[in-house]
Amino acid sequence: MNIVVAMKQIPDLQQIRIRNREPVLDAVPLTLGNIDKNALEAAVAFKESHGGKVTVLSAGSEDLEDTIKEALAAGADEAFLVLDDELDGADSEAIAGILGAALNRIEDKDLIIFGEGSGDNYSGQVGPRVAEILGIPLVTYASSIEINDKTAKVVRSLEDCEEIIELTLPAAVSVLAGINEPRIPSVTQILKAGKKPKEILEMDDLGLALAEKQVITLSNLAPESERKQILLKSADELVKALSSQSLIGR
Amino acid sequence: MDFTLSKEQLLLQKMARDYAEKFIEPIARQIDEENKIPQEIIEGLGELELFGIPFPEEYGGADAGYDGYTLVMEQISKVSGGVAMTIAAHTLGLGAIRSFGTEEQKKKYLPAGCKGKEIASFAFTEPGTGSDPKQLSSIAVKEGDYFILNGTKRFISNANYPGPMVIFAKEMESGEVTAFILEKWTEGYSISEPWEKVGHRGGILVDVYMKDIKIPAENLLGKVGQGFPILLLGIALGKIGTSTAALGATLAAYEEGVKYAREKTHRDKPIAKFQAIQLKIADLAIKYETSRWLCYRLGCLANNIKDPAQFAREAALTKAYAGDVVVEAAHIAMDVHGSYGLMKDYKVERILRDALIGPQIEGVSDMQRMIIAGAALR
Repeated sequence: MNIVVAMKQIPDLQQIRIRNREPVLDAVPLTLGNIDKNALEAAVAFKESHGGKVTVLSAGSEDLEDTIKEALAAGADEAFLVLDDELDGADSEAIAGILGAALNRIEDKDLIIFGEGSGDNYSGQVGPRVAEILGIPLVTYASSIEINDKTAKVVRSLEDCEEIIELTLPAAVSVLAGINEPRIPSVTQILKAGKKPKEILEMDDLGLALAEKQVITLSNLAPESERKQILLKSADELVKALSSQSLIGR
Repeated sequence: MDFTLSKEQLLLQKMARDYAEKFIEPIARQIDEENKIPQEIIEGLGELELFGIPFPEEYGGADAGYDGYTLVMEQISKVSGGVAMTIAAHTLGLGAIRSFGTEEQKKKYLPAGCKGKEIASFAFTEPGTGSDPKQLSSIAVKEGDYFILNGTKRFISNANYPGPMVIFAKEMESGEVTAFILEKWTEGYSISEPWEKVGHRGGILVDVYMKDIKIPAENLLGKVGQGFPILLLGIALGKIGTSTAALGATLAAYEEGVKYAREKTHRDKPIAKFQAIQLKIADLAIKYETSRWLCYRLGCLANNIKDPAQFAREAALTKAYAGDVVVEAAHIAMDVHGSYGLMKDYKVERILRDALIGPQIEGVSDMQRMIIAGAALR
């Protein structure tokens, strides 16, 4: 069983400061998307219990070669990277095209796992687009994955119901953040991450050129938090007000 | 000269921070109040290989060097000085075995220690001696294939856990200070109740009583009479742990100071807007950054010690600085908090108590200065 996990390099959201409602990205270290880490954990946990191999797949700027060590430390066996400095900020269609082309180069892939959305833009489009490109079945919003020999049983958690879906492999699944708790790698796993195999391609190697962006970002602003400025005179009033809005005592 | 951390070093730092924030921070106050570290924390640290950071892979270590050790210690100590000191005392004991042990001794004690299955100790101090080896009163008498040890050791870390203890005693025949590896809880070994100390609680200190303990002759560490050089290098390496424990508390003081200055309002604006508070925050930043780079540098130097005396001077300098500065930083952070800082509801109270350990442990700051001056005036 070989599992490919698609992960995206993003700025470390915890270290972004907001100035005049705009994110300040200068000198913010790069990391991998949080839900992507859940996708990786699902793959690694499966490998540990059933055997197989986990390949991490990503496309991004040259820094990715360093950033991907996080995934290799957290249990991926090898990395398949497409590097181009123009890829930072590329839209979902472009990235899906690149990942699709890269996946065609990876043999023996039984399952491709995505996070339900990236840590920065959270469009949730790349997984479905890649599945379409490869012509394989897809289940989104997975809260659990059970893999048998040639099939996978996936629980799909929607807002008010759960669907249980059985898929024939190879297939693609996008997972929810709550599917697991990503592990903390040990010292040795971190130190050996850089020594794991990496295949690095450029856009030319895939016969691709970055298409003109279909999505133009006009602005990227932090939400304004408006204070309601309600003055209360006692703790009792506060409890009543919070209860009436179901903010406590639910 | 490049003062940036590699991706691996950043990941080590992040790993320690993630573990500390997720598993230690929620119970840090409990550890402080009960003066006890839950076993699952010891096991968790062991699984992440934090008991074997600087030791070679061939002996079960993680091989991340003493520079990697400083990065991890800083993050653990930021959250709990007691947990950090448990790692530090263990690494000190294991480090002495690594530096002076025979191949057999290293193979016997390092693997279990590096995995945290056994926790090491280092026992020199006695009720009457402080740090003076000439006054050592514990004695070792050679009897056939054994040494018989008698005496009392004071303020010993990790003495409650099973594992090896590097212990110093006067070998009777030669009258020389000699080091041995004692397996804790062997017959004749007992300990006192933990001392109720002001900070680093959870990393307990006890007195150790040795009554006719039989130590096999092969557990002699180094040679008879080699105790003093073992002590000097062991303690110098140990100062990486005590310095970085102080560094972590300095970082905690800095972060808590900044956090409180941003949150606490006075006349509808955060106190961070007042220059008096800004000056304190700047002092916290200066103290943290200077301490930090001295500590990291000491870790790098420890990876390749060419001259133990020179290293001892660097270790003394770092320890004197980091140990003194942490108290100043904790006081400043408390000043930023005003009277709220005195309350147990705020972390800065514990940070100050942890900080007070810094200048006193493993040789008081003045003793470090004597080593520094000795080297400068030689």
